[in-house]
Amino acid sequence: MRGGGPPTRLGRARLGLTRLVSETGEGLRIALSSLVSNTLRSFLTTMGIVIGVMTVIAIVAIIDGLNQSFATQVGGLGANTLYVSKWKWISSGNDWWEMRNRKDMGRAEFEAVSREASLATAVAPFVSLDATLTSDQAELTRVRVRGTNEDYQIANGVAVAAGRFLSAPDVELSRSVLVLGPNLADKLFPGVPAEEVVGRRLRVLGRPLTVIGVQARRGRLMGLDLDSEATLPWTTFLRDMGAKRTISLAVSAEPDKVKALEDQLVSILRRVRRVPPGKPDDFSVNRQEQMRRLYEQLTGALYGVAVGVGLITLLVGGIGIMNIMLVSVTERTREIGLRRALGARRRTILLQFLVESSLVSLLGGAVGTALGFGVASLLALTTPLAAAVTPGAVALGLGFSAVVGLLFGSWPAWRAANLDPVEALRYE
Amino acid sequence: MSGPLISIDRLSRHYEVGGELVRALDGVSFDIVKGEWVAIVGQSGSGKSTLMNLLGCLDTATSGTYRLNGADVETLSDDKLADLRNKEIGFVFQTFQLLPRATALANVELPLVYRGLPRRQRREMAESALRSVGLSNRMHHRPNELSGGQRQRVAIARALVGEPSILLADEPTGNLDSQTGEEIVRLFGELNTRGHTIILVTHEAKLAARCPRAIKLMDGRILGDGPGAEVAALQAARAVGT
Repeated sequence: MRGGGPPTRLGRARLGLTRLVSETGEGLRIALSSLVSNTLRSFLTTMGIVIGVMTVIAIVAIIDGLNQSFATQVGGLGANTLYVSKWKWISSGNDWWEMRNRKDMGRAEFEAVSREASLATAVAPFVSLDATLTSDQAELTRVRVRGTNEDYQIANGVAVAAGRFLSAPDVELSRSVLVLGPNLADKLFPGVPAEEVVGRRLRVLGRPLTVIGVQARRGRLMGLDLDSEATLPWTTFLRDMGAKRTISLAVSAEPDKVKALEDQLVSILRRVRRVPPGKPDDFSVNRQEQMRRLYEQLTGALYGVAVGVGLITLLVGGIGIMNIMLVSVTERTREIGLRRALGARRRTILLQFLVESSLVSLLGGAVGTALGFGVASLLALTTPLAAAVTPGAVALGLGFSAVVGLLFGSWPAWRAANLDPVEALRYE
Repeated sequence: MSGPLISIDRLSRHYEVGGELVRALDGVSFDIVKGEWVAIVGQSGSGKSTLMNLLGCLDTATSGTYRLNGADVETLSDDKLADLRNKEIGFVFQTFQLLPRATALANVELPLVYRGLPRRQRREMAESALRSVGLSNRMHHRPNELSGGQRQRVAIARALVGEPSILLADEPTGNLDSQTGEEIVRLFGELNTRGHTIILVTHEAKLAARCPRAIKLMDGRILGDGPGAEVAALQAARAVGT
């Protein structure tokens, strides 16, 4: 430079870049040495950020986990299936009495729908109760026992791991057979492989039944263990366990015909149940989608709260960082003056303090992310809540903390950069 | 190089303190050529610190002109002033102003960091600067592991490392005992014979008398400008005369 010819534009750009690199490197060195020499202070400063990021990560991980398991569970319900019942799945408290007083659904409704619903690809009745199951090895109380027909497999997407599902003859002949959920098979016949459970006998409410199949695993749906169900022909169910129970119908259609099917079902059922024109339906047509909507409302609110709490904590953490950075600027006033005297530009000082504040914040974010995962995994292990750690959540946690560091560090850094070098050098 | 290294013409610096105008520096003019060793001497309040800040491009004048190595300092932006300090001025402070957590080597490297030099080159230049002040065996010591004289040597190495046009020393012996101070003054003499231009700001007439040239300030104006011994004597005579 000095003594040489005028620098070329490329040369200047390269010099500017190496200067930026060496200044950033110096900034990092300063930040690290100040972190190390003020360990306790740095630790306390980052606590706000740590807690904020930890909260957000943990909650987001839990919500993501719930979302994932919900998606797979709801998938098992059959997206193109309508569930016709006396009960509405999702209702406000006021509807309860009205629904309770509705007429039960029974064979007449099932037969009318099977006969007349031309858009239906499967019509499965189902009826259920909680009963005690007894094998020669174990006794299980309060098991969900469901009566249905062969179409239930199509409508609800049930797969069989061993043996077979209910068949039409099973239903027509009211055979004393049942299909077990995998958890039931494990508990009733401990140590027996699924293939060998098929053919075993057990008792439901004292009545003997033969196992013809074991279901494949499905997981849980909103707290319901889908793998702990016993399924038998509904005709057998009604014969042996009480004919007066209300039944529901699962009716499937081609994906683009679900809406039309709903209309068809409503008109069939209104006629069969003799609902006068102008009166509301005395039955409900439910869809998986409704459950999803309710679920999304719930988790959406939770998400909002989590983000709100997290933001407030980060704000508090950010103020902590700003405070400590202001202290740091004051403490290092003379050093700033010296650096300015030795040729540091304002921008360089600004960069130095921004690097420091975002490093502190980023460290807090990293620790918070790790702790958040820890909390989420602990919850996943010890409670039925699922937790999934997504790269998005990590990026969110780290990104947010870095932004907080930059944002709240910018005022102290600006103050540092605008110190008068003469005054700063003289500062005691 | 033709023309003076430093050319100052009717330079003034006024402050307003509590509504009152303070003429810290009032119409000062002089030139300094390359290779000179000049003392700026005066009592506290004489304006020598103000002049030093102006010469060091840390502050800008209220009026007048200051040309440094061909650059019109008064017209430069803050960034350009920072670059000018980095390239042209080597500061030596009374209180050393070393970074306590950095080694001697890292302290000396600092101006080169702001010049954007690569690490290896910085290291080499800093090592040679430390050798030139006789500290080749103290490079990895921190300031608190060094004596006062050694600290000031580190500071001088830091001032030299960027090969500036001027060494600007502000009371460099003020915090040292007389023997160590003497060593530092001898080091300055040595650097001057090697061709460095040195401006030494001091309140000690004795120190100024040892410099080839001294500029004596009083109340923001030049009282005398000439050979160090003469200016010191002149000042004494005047003090007696008044």
